[in-house]
Amino acid sequence: MSPTSTSVSTYTRTQTATYLTDVVMGAIADILSDLKIDVTVLYRDWKQDEAAIAAWIEEGSLQQVVLECHQPNGTVAPIIEFPVAYTETGKGNATFTADRAALARYRAKLERVPSGTTYGLICTFRKARTPQTGWGPTTRASTDGLKSLKFGTLGSAPHAAVSMRYLH
Amino acid sequence: MQRHRQVAAAPQRRASETWDAIAELVVATLDRSPHIVASDVTAAMAAASTVGRVLVAGGHLDKHALVLVADPVYLNITTVSGVSATNLDEDLGPVPGGATSTDWTIHLPTPDPVGDAVRSAVSGVPHLSANEPPGESTSKSAMSEQASVLNLDALAQRAQERK
Repeated sequence: MSPTSTSVSTYTRTQTATYLTDVVMGAIADILSDLKIDVTVLYRDWKQDEAAIAAWIEEGSLQQVVLECHQPNGTVAPIIEFPVAYTETGKGNATFTADRAALARYRAKLERVPSGTTYGLICTFRKARTPQTGWGPTTRASTDGLKSLKFGTLGSAPHAAVSMRYLH
Repeated sequence: MQRHRQVAAAPQRRASETWDAIAELVVATLDRSPHIVASDVTAAMAAASTVGRVLVAGGHLDKHALVLVADPVYLNITTVSGVSATNLDEDLGPVPGGATSTDWTIHLPTPDPVGDAVRSAVSGVPHLSANEPPGESTSKSAMSEQASVLNLDALAQRAQERK
């Protein structure tokens, strides 16, 4: 038997959280830009939101990030959900992937929204979370009557993956 | 003096941290010049930071370079994301040539769908531009036609430097 060797890279939960946070935040920024919704607040609060989402993914508390679009007539649509699925044991040699090309194609199909539409970012949790600056209790808008379309996996990392669901 | 620097983004750095690393590289390069005030460079990079983070997080800087034009420096900066970022051989030291620079402009890319946000962010800010950087017209034409984003001349130069 000839000698063999293997090389296994191991990654940390922090790296998983950092990567998936970028994927989610980047997707939200691109979607809002595509919909011509004012992103001033998103840009202003970026570091704070980035830190919060990363911390919650790292501790495994984040269930999903929800992007709600509030139209001037009171309609809340579309709603875009980014559920996080965790691999409890971790996959030490798994890779980091993001399907940004597919997202770009998908974005082109999003329904336009009226001028003056604003947005809200909401996080839901699967277990107790660590409090983060700038985030407080709120309630989600109803999704009753909205049609749901699954985008599929948006990004994956060794300890978790994030997908996207479009409700309109 | 064509140069290309790659900066490790996620999962090594968050988007805001990646932008900070890019800013430090630009500031360090221009700080060598007695004609350029470092605080002006820091202010320009800070003004661009809001859209800079978005360019990083969306993966846009992986493909579309930020270009620092400060004759004789012509510096393309791109990011690297994913597994490649974890084993990237980074060189974030000051780029040679900055000591003799007098004027400088940072050209930000304007990819869809964040191009309007970039143009808005740099509007009226000294030393920031959302226009195509000057020079390298041949390679720029090729970039447009092929939707490519790397400055091929810069990569060739980098390869030459390593020989």
